[in-house]
Amino acid sequence: MSHEDIHRDDDQALEQRLRAALRPVDPGAGFVGGVMARVAAGRPGKVRPLRARTAASWASFALAASIVVALLLAHQRQVQRTEQGLEARRQLIEALRVTGDKLDLASRMVNAPPSPNYSDSGA
Amino acid sequence: MSGDQPCTSGELLARAISGDAAAFGTLVRRHQRSVYSLALRMLTDRHQAEDLAQEVFLQLYRSLASVESEEHLGFWLRRVTMHRAIDRLRREPRYLTSTLADAELLAGEAPDADPILERRLRGLLEELAPAARAVVVLRYQEDLDPAEIARTLKMPVNTVKSHLKRSLAQLREALTAPGPGGDGDRPAPPQPLPSGHRTLV
Repeated sequence: MSHEDIHRDDDQALEQRLRAALRPVDPGAGFVGGVMARVAAGRPGKVRPLRARTAASWASFALAASIVVALLLAHQRQVQRTEQGLEARRQLIEALRVTGDKLDLASRMVNAPPSPNYSDSGA
Repeated sequence: MSGDQPCTSGELLARAISGDAAAFGTLVRRHQRSVYSLALRMLTDRHQAEDLAQEVFLQLYRSLASVESEEHLGFWLRRVTMHRAIDRLRREPRYLTSTLADAELLAGEAPDADPILERRLRGLLEELAPAARAVVVLRYQEDLDPAEIARTLKMPVNTVKSHLKRSLAQLREALTAPGPGGDGDRPAPPQPLPSGHRTLV
């Protein structure tokens, strides 16, 4: 028997031993039940994922609503301040107009010619 | 209709794809031995192997629509199992089987088996790198040829052949080398565990 034949026989023996050592074995009795339970727990639409998704949706909605309310309040305050400014401007113009009228009246009275009746009585 | 009734693989697969849980359960029952054994030979721990095998079937449930045939299903299961096992081996610290787990494995041996030698071989297999171990397990447990192994592990055929050759040489050398007791076919006495290894008791 040549050296190669001996080596081939050794290889075949080792391969047989490996096949025997790696014979498939069964898992525990509850294996299929465990798989089905995990499948049921992970199925889409089940309580846990749905709850998680709902909570996430509500959180997003609440955040978006808070931002919108904050923007509306800021806008409302801006409008209010603009209106107050316009009202103050209107009141100032009105006051200036009244003052102008009064001054105009006073000016006319001062610059008016003396009354003839007053001159006659003095002569 | 019960899922345990005799049924062709194609019918069973079609029923499982259409949402029949009993048919899916039957598919799991048909393939659990292969998937679990692959995981066990890779991870060497029964609990980790069961967990990984269940994860593989859970992934199968989510990917059923992409499975084309029973043959494709077998290929798919082997590929996902081996890739997940290799990932886990690279990610997590290695577990060594306890004497209790070994005893349970020995209880399932065939009567004509040499349990001590087989245990030694399985121990030596643990010393191989994850990819090399995967090649050896697919070759001698699943009886796949190098081309099928290459397809399963997504590696070149020449790499598969190289892994096989080197692994067999390494195993042969370890088996024939005289151990501390002087007998190459006898298991060596327990050695202190290297750091990073954990024993499950």
